Amino acid sequence: MLDSILAGFVTYTKSLGFNFGFLTSVYERTIWIDGISMTLILIAVTIPVSLVGGGLLAAALTSGRKYLSVPARVFVELTRNTPTLVQLMCAFLVVNMLISKALGGAQYNPFSPFFWVVAVVGLHIAAFHAEALRAGIESVPSATLEAARAIGFNRLQILWFVEFPLALRAALPAIVNNLVNLAKLTTVGSAIAVGEVTYASIMIWSQRDNVIELMIVILLLFSLINLLIARTGRWLENKLKVPGLGI
Amino acid sequence: MTESKREERAILVKMEDVHLAFGQTQVLKGIDLEVRKGDAVSIIGPSGSGKSTILRCINGLVTPQRGSITVGQTAVHELKSEAERIPLRKRIGIVFQQYNLFPHLSVLENIVIAPVRIQGVGRPEAERHARELLARVRLSDKEHAYPGELSGGQQQRVAIARALAMRPELVLFDEVTSALDPETVGEVLAVIRELVADGLTSILVTHEMRFAEEISDEVLFTEGGRIVERGSPASLFHNSSNPRIHSFINGLGSGAKTRESAL
Ligand SMILES: Nc1ncnc2c1ncn2[C@@H]1O[C@H](COP(=O)(O)OP(=O)(O)O)[C@@H](O)[C@H]1O
Ligand SMILES: [Mg+2]
Repeated sequence: MLDSILAGFVTYTKSLGFNFGFLTSVYERTIWIDGISMTLILIAVTIPVSLVGGGLLAAALTSGRKYLSVPARVFVELTRNTPTLVQLMCAFLVVNMLISKALGGAQYNPFSPFFWVVAVVGLHIAAFHAEALRAGIESVPSATLEAARAIGFNRLQILWFVEFPLALRAALPAIVNNLVNLAKLTTVGSAIAVGEVTYASIMIWSQRDNVIELMIVILLLFSLINLLIARTGRWLENKLKVPGLGI
Repeated sequence: MTESKREERAILVKMEDVHLAFGQTQVLKGIDLEVRKGDAVSIIGPSGSGKSTILRCINGLVTPQRGSITVGQTAVHELKSEAERIPLRKRIGIVFQQYNLFPHLSVLENIVIAPVRIQGVGRPEAERHARELLARVRLSDKEHAYPGELSGGQQQRVAIARALAMRPELVLFDEVTSALDPETVGEVLAVIRELVADGLTSILVTHEMRFAEEISDEVLFTEGGRIVERGSPASLFHNSSNPRIHSFINGLGSGAKTRESAL
């Protein structure tokens, strides 16, 4: 059933001048499908990591406590201003190797290439979220904060119930942009052999002459994912919209 | 103003020789003040004379360099950190000139957030109390509205309900009608008048002289960081020998009259 549908698809696209012949090979087909699902999983896992990381970094940046804000600022500047690919190499080839050494061999190292992609891309985007949120937090009027203190909120409650909700509304468009970038950035995983869609495609097209076909699919896939992210962002913006609040 | 004799009621707030400077600027230069349970004490005086700072000392939003402040059994001047001041703030409501409501929360949420998140009151009970307070400030139909959808007078009444939601022992009103359109001043004053009549202990910074005269047990006149005169409303407004007070009251007079015709 599946085979005949695939065969039909391959024959039809061939008549249009495209070579999707790899789909009839179970081995290549599996690599490719696994690549697509790996990309989806990477994005789904990295988004929450970036959001939590961004929230914590923004909280540290605006805490007014030097021992929190200075390290957070250094991290944000380093992360924002250096290439993600280099960061990933550095994490995987240097940090990961040092961990392996310290633990007495790679077989004892619990950190996989997948982990390093999620960590590096997640924290890279977190630095951008943090800047957007920080600007939002700093734009909360001091009178509103004084009212929150006067009611008896502590520092964390003010952050959680007043500053974050207001900052999030102001920062949401920027955060959605960051998430679109995040989705695209997961392709750096191919550099350390994480089998996401570009890695899988490279493996297939290096055996066959079908770069254009696989490129088209990759471009369509990311367009679709990012359309979904942008739509979700829009939906959230509308949901959080407060009548009479000018953000 | 309550029935019992003023001297018989317990002292709730006592400030003694309070000095406060912001950097090099000396703002309070020896404030003494006593408020008894059930009192309404008004503070009048020119802009910049330290009225707001006095209120902010009482709930620990600012800390004086010298002097003592007690609220009930609490020695406010001995509280060393923000965390130590929180129990004090829970007992004191404050209403600001610019309302300072939480703009992202509905009217009802603005009122229940403190009891629910700080006092741990159950949501149904907090909402019941909030609706009671909204009825009291005559805004029952607005519980789902957001601050940005309300007039200044309506926002200020929500702010009063928010302050009352914690069932405070004391409420501080800092020029709560100064930012309002003349038509809405009356509705806010009416709410405060009722609260005071019901025995709420309050300190009011105000420019509404007629209102202060009507509701206050005592009136204080501040100038340059000192309380330069104090006494019953009648003595301060009508029998004062201080020319500064005369000119201050007369200077406000015309504005205050047109406002009060709105009552
Ligand atoms: N946070 C602050 N930092 C520096 N100066 C302040 C601060 N708050 C108030 N002041 C100054 O203290 C003086 C008294 O202010 P305030 O108590 O607000 O007076 P009032 O309420 O009587 O108008 C003013 O000169 C004001 O500029
Ligand atoms: Mg003031």
